[in-house]
Amino acid sequence: MAKDMFLLWASGSPPCWRIMIALEEKNLQGYQHKLLSFDKGEHKSKEVLDINPRGQLPAFRHGTNVINESGAACMYLENQFKSHGNQLIPSDQAEQALVYQRTFEAFNAHQKMVDVVMYAFRVPAEEKHEATEKRNKEAATTEFQLWEGYLQKTGPYIAGKNFSMADVVFFPTLALAFRLGMRQTKYPKLGAYHGFLKDRPSIKATWPTHWLQEPPLKDPLKDV
Amino acid sequence: MAKDMFLLWGSGSPPCWRVMIALEEKNLQGYQHKELSFDKGEHKSKQVLEINPRGQLPAFRHGTNLINDSVAACLYLENQFKSQGNPLIPSEQAEQALVYQRTLEAPNAQQKMIDVLTYTFRVPEEERHEATEKRNKEAATTEFQLWEGYLQKTGPYIAGKNFSMADVVFFPTLALAFPLGLSQKKYPKLGVYHGFLKDRPSIKATWPTHWMQDPPLKDPLKDL
Repeated sequence: MAKDMFLLWASGSPPCWRIMIALEEKNLQGYQHKLLSFDKGEHKSKEVLDINPRGQLPAFRHGTNVINESGAACMYLENQFKSHGNQLIPSDQAEQALVYQRTFEAFNAHQKMVDVVMYAFRVPAEEKHEATEKRNKEAATTEFQLWEGYLQKTGPYIAGKNFSMADVVFFPTLALAFRLGMRQTKYPKLGAYHGFLKDRPSIKATWPTHWLQEPPLKDPLKDV
Repeated sequence: MAKDMFLLWGSGSPPCWRVMIALEEKNLQGYQHKELSFDKGEHKSKQVLEINPRGQLPAFRHGTNLINDSVAACLYLENQFKSQGNPLIPSEQAEQALVYQRTLEAPNAQQKMIDVLTYTFRVPEEERHEATEKRNKEAATTEFQLWEGYLQKTGPYIAGKNFSMADVVFFPTLALAFPLGLSQKKYPKLGVYHGFLKDRPSIKATWPTHWMQDPPLKDPLKDL
């Protein structure tokens, strides 16, 4: 069960956080885990590569079953432990359709956010262009406006009346976006959603510890 | 059932093709559909935007349920029509874990390939760099080498002994890569996999019609 599960993770990484929320929601606390540091390059260590040849976190193992894609691990946990904890994929057809749609759409939000952040921190200065930076920010803005719109039409959760897999996958990205400067005044519905979900037990229990200790270093998303 | 389903699609688009393969596999032929042209900008037309505010294809509707993300639609169809057609998510735990992993990994291959194919299309000339183009090609090469490696360890399908959701999601990307120059000599296992899967009924029935009519004009993936 949980003790046969092993998660290699990094603090504040939305993909890692998704799996941790799912494990809590399915009452699988007690899983083994190890916190690693991106800054120290530990995601490229042998212990990660042994589970995840891509040298990325999360790296997740259940017995001999290796599932490193966070969406895959979450789906697997929901499917394998359907009757445990909270149901994350609803049975009702219409609710299920919306949950699947928003769950997979959430990866777009993550990518658009990453594009802005990576451009700010990773692209060599001599290759940077204001126009590209502007386009990345516009794409991220359009993306988060879409999600703000979704919460104007439905709620209080991202895919309707109940907490679901869509929240498991979307919330970590949103939480990181706010931490990196995205303004709650510009996205009030997302702000309210964030405000009440951060107290959900599974989310509170897995909140990135360094966020509680240190303020963010920069705010690359302040103009999104 | 199928007649309550409506798909807007573009020929040769891997995400559209995934949904069409899934519909065939679940014996849902008879769905309503309309082929649109990316070149004519029809993916931004009102009829698409009414189903998919992102102005992207596929746009898929089952009754009033809208599911535009291709993997979301495929998982929804499998879940809703479990006892129909072929099971695409196996019940056995280890097999299921691998299928979920490869299914969610496959969009990485699609993205890396798209990054190479659309570089000159997405990035204005004054912002392009040879170094970036080189990095994109290296990332795509590493990606396809990973998949070649998977088929060295398992088979004949991408996630094991049986056709699964992982093939539904991965095959269309591979089938687009080969005509665009990916070398079957360099990726022999992928070549063999492609060779035998193209005759699978669900794939044959949905093969992009324009590929049969017009050979590709260039081979942008020949250096991968």
